[in-house]
Amino acid sequence: MIKKSRKVRDYKELTKALPTLRYVDPEAVYIHLQNGRCKTYDLYVKEGDKVTLGEVIGMRHGGFFEQPIHATISGTVATVAKKLHRTGRKVDCVEIRNDFKNTKHESIVDRPDSLIEDLTQDEMVEIVKNRSLVGLGGSGFPTFIKIATKEKIDTVVINAVECEPYLNSDYRLILEHPDRVITGLKYIMQALNCKKGVIAIKSKNGPLYQVLTQVINHRYPELDIEVMKLGNYYPQGWEVEVFKNALGIVIPHGELPMKYGVIGFNVSTAAGVFDAIKHNLPVIKRYFTLTGDAVKFPQNYRVRVGTSVQQLIALSDGYKDGFDEVLVIMGGPMMGTSTVSDDVIVSKTTTSVIILQNTEYKEEPCVRCGSCVYSCPTNLEPVQIMNAVKRNDKEAMKGLEAFKCIECGLCTYVCTSKIHVTEYVRKAKRLIG
Amino acid sequence: MMEHQPKIIRKTSPYLRRPQASVTRMMRDVVIALLPVTIFAIYSFGMSAVTILLSAVISMVVTEYLYYQITDLISGEKFKLKNKSFSLYNYSAAVSGLIYGLTLPDSTPIWVVVMCGALGIFLAKLIFGGVGQNVFNPAAVARVIVVVNFSVKYLLHTVDIPLLESVDGLAGATALTFTNFAYESDLGNMITNVFNPAVLDNFSLLNLFTGIGIPGSLGEVSALLLIIGGIYLALRTSFEVRIPLTYVGTVFVLASVVAIQQGLGIWYPVYHILGGGLLFGAIFMATDPITSPITKPGRIYFGFGLGVITFIIRLFGAMPEGVVFSILIMNMFVPTFDYFKWSKSGFTKKSNLIFAGVILASIIVVLVGASYVG
Repeated sequence: MIKKSRKVRDYKELTKALPTLRYVDPEAVYIHLQNGRCKTYDLYVKEGDKVTLGEVIGMRHGGFFEQPIHATISGTVATVAKKLHRTGRKVDCVEIRNDFKNTKHESIVDRPDSLIEDLTQDEMVEIVKNRSLVGLGGSGFPTFIKIATKEKIDTVVINAVECEPYLNSDYRLILEHPDRVITGLKYIMQALNCKKGVIAIKSKNGPLYQVLTQVINHRYPELDIEVMKLGNYYPQGWEVEVFKNALGIVIPHGELPMKYGVIGFNVSTAAGVFDAIKHNLPVIKRYFTLTGDAVKFPQNYRVRVGTSVQQLIALSDGYKDGFDEVLVIMGGPMMGTSTVSDDVIVSKTTTSVIILQNTEYKEEPCVRCGSCVYSCPTNLEPVQIMNAVKRNDKEAMKGLEAFKCIECGLCTYVCTSKIHVTEYVRKAKRLIG
Repeated sequence: MMEHQPKIIRKTSPYLRRPQASVTRMMRDVVIALLPVTIFAIYSFGMSAVTILLSAVISMVVTEYLYYQITDLISGEKFKLKNKSFSLYNYSAAVSGLIYGLTLPDSTPIWVVVMCGALGIFLAKLIFGGVGQNVFNPAAVARVIVVVNFSVKYLLHTVDIPLLESVDGLAGATALTFTNFAYESDLGNMITNVFNPAVLDNFSLLNLFTGIGIPGSLGEVSALLLIIGGIYLALRTSFEVRIPLTYVGTVFVLASVVAIQQGLGIWYPVYHILGGGLLFGAIFMATDPITSPITKPGRIYFGFGLGVITFIIRLFGAMPEGVVFSILIMNMFVPTFDYFKWSKSGFTKKSNLIFAGVILASIIVVLVGASYVG
């Protein structure tokens, strides 16, 4: 099939209509002490210590990305163990055993609205930084750096497109807590001294549009917040694509959107900003989708950060019978990471775990149909990059701008010959890195 | 706890693939699109069409099979009846064979069909490394081997004129007398040098469109059925519709320019499109994705180049088969179109300017040339 094809079957119907199941009191949580950017850490507590919800138990060091570590549960500190991280490496995790008392740390107090109204940008940045809020859509980029921008921002965009197949956590979050998202957006707009807010959703998500417009009209009629219906294709959720279709602003490769007067946040991040500023809470719970064709009961969960995915799989009645080989994917099925074990932990940035039946695709020779070239959202020529990698021609890889690739996986998805083109482009990126 | 614990495999993203996309589907669609043309060829030409088509397909498929068996034997693998590299499973050799067969005139001897088919797939596809590696369209190469080696002796044997003269001496007003035989191979070619509506005496445009009562190559005669096949392929997105559109469009525009200069009617460009193998070549041979550029602009330039070369061969050339030669010539330029320094997946202002300049230049060349020929 030779055509531009950005329609990816989304399988969202598996969990879209299901109410979120709360699973907020596990026996124990495991808190990541390291992540992809922070390799070293200090742990302020030792085995046997009592900790409370929201207490700072350590500090991750990573220069720019340095952030405090918060307990997401009240209980007793147990051992430090190695657990799989989203990046595929084993990292240190501290185990905290739940005492089921939910005692809050004394710093967790609500701010009155009158106080919030007077907060300046710097004060907000400080709060968000101390609450170690990061991009909860999966990027993990510290939010305070974004909020601290000195550029003139005209529009704050909340990205609720969630274009990856299978995922529904953002969808459920808006449906169940629209006020948190919108208030979070209000705070961000206040911090950046910006008058206009946009919430970008998929045009087929009608319920979200109704919920959001109703809440905006009833609670914040004075705010200039527009809910925009964008395309249903993949990767509409890519920030650059959202800005292009919502505001008509094209951001060239390698440039920050702030320079063009726009800034984008994920929905969960906006809700996180609300929690941090209103309740002074770090990220302790998040929406989480456990789905896929190889799990018996796909479900949306509201879980503590640090919950073991194994327990969630057991809650979903385990793996479907009859599949001998499965893939366990953290994140979406187009860009997520596949892990070697299901012994993983829900971290702040884990939106979902998808369990898919393993399908072996038979690769055929490339017939140069051009579907990957037509479909590429960054206007690259993936097949040519693949050929350049095969003959190890670095000049051609550079000339074909392989570094622009966002690894959305569309070239592999559309390939007529079922070739794993994305992997070749990744290799090219590494080679010319 | 969980009772069923499957094995967990690690892979790299993405983990999904587009359903129903496969090379086999693409190739099968080409066969389906060729079916009306094939049936019409058998209806018009009878048993000779059946034998030519069968021997064309079999010669290509068998050559490919033998080639892979022999290379496997040489590399020391055990003999198996089913060969892993053999590409019949995705129809590609069969498609090449069928297209090749349909470009042949019904008078072609079987041994010529078999020999050129085998040579064509060997020289154009197998020695390059099989599916996806070939520079030239195997069907076009096989067809050209027939034209170059056997046209004078076999393909034109029904015409009672001195043959050498017919190939070399077709210029100016003398060609008028050869109106009838010109349809024998590639309809448009031999008489288009003459700007005279008399070419329509024998066959009306309507006949050319439907293909009823038109002699010529097996698959080339019915424009209507070819267009139906093309529409089917376009609906199934199994071919790149830009190539045939720009190809036919370019020929139409250039012919119209010449028609205006010479004071001819609309019949002249229409005749160019309906006559000869233009539609067949544009829809089924030029669109072979393996031998066409990879980007959208590249494909449009490719179609344009095909149109210009075809028209120039038809207008000034001594050789018939402008279509197949233009396809082979443009095949050679595909790596040039795809060179990483200028291949872009979109149009730019600069590329548009250059393209406009090339269009203008080719129109001027054709106009100047036509005023000499006319």
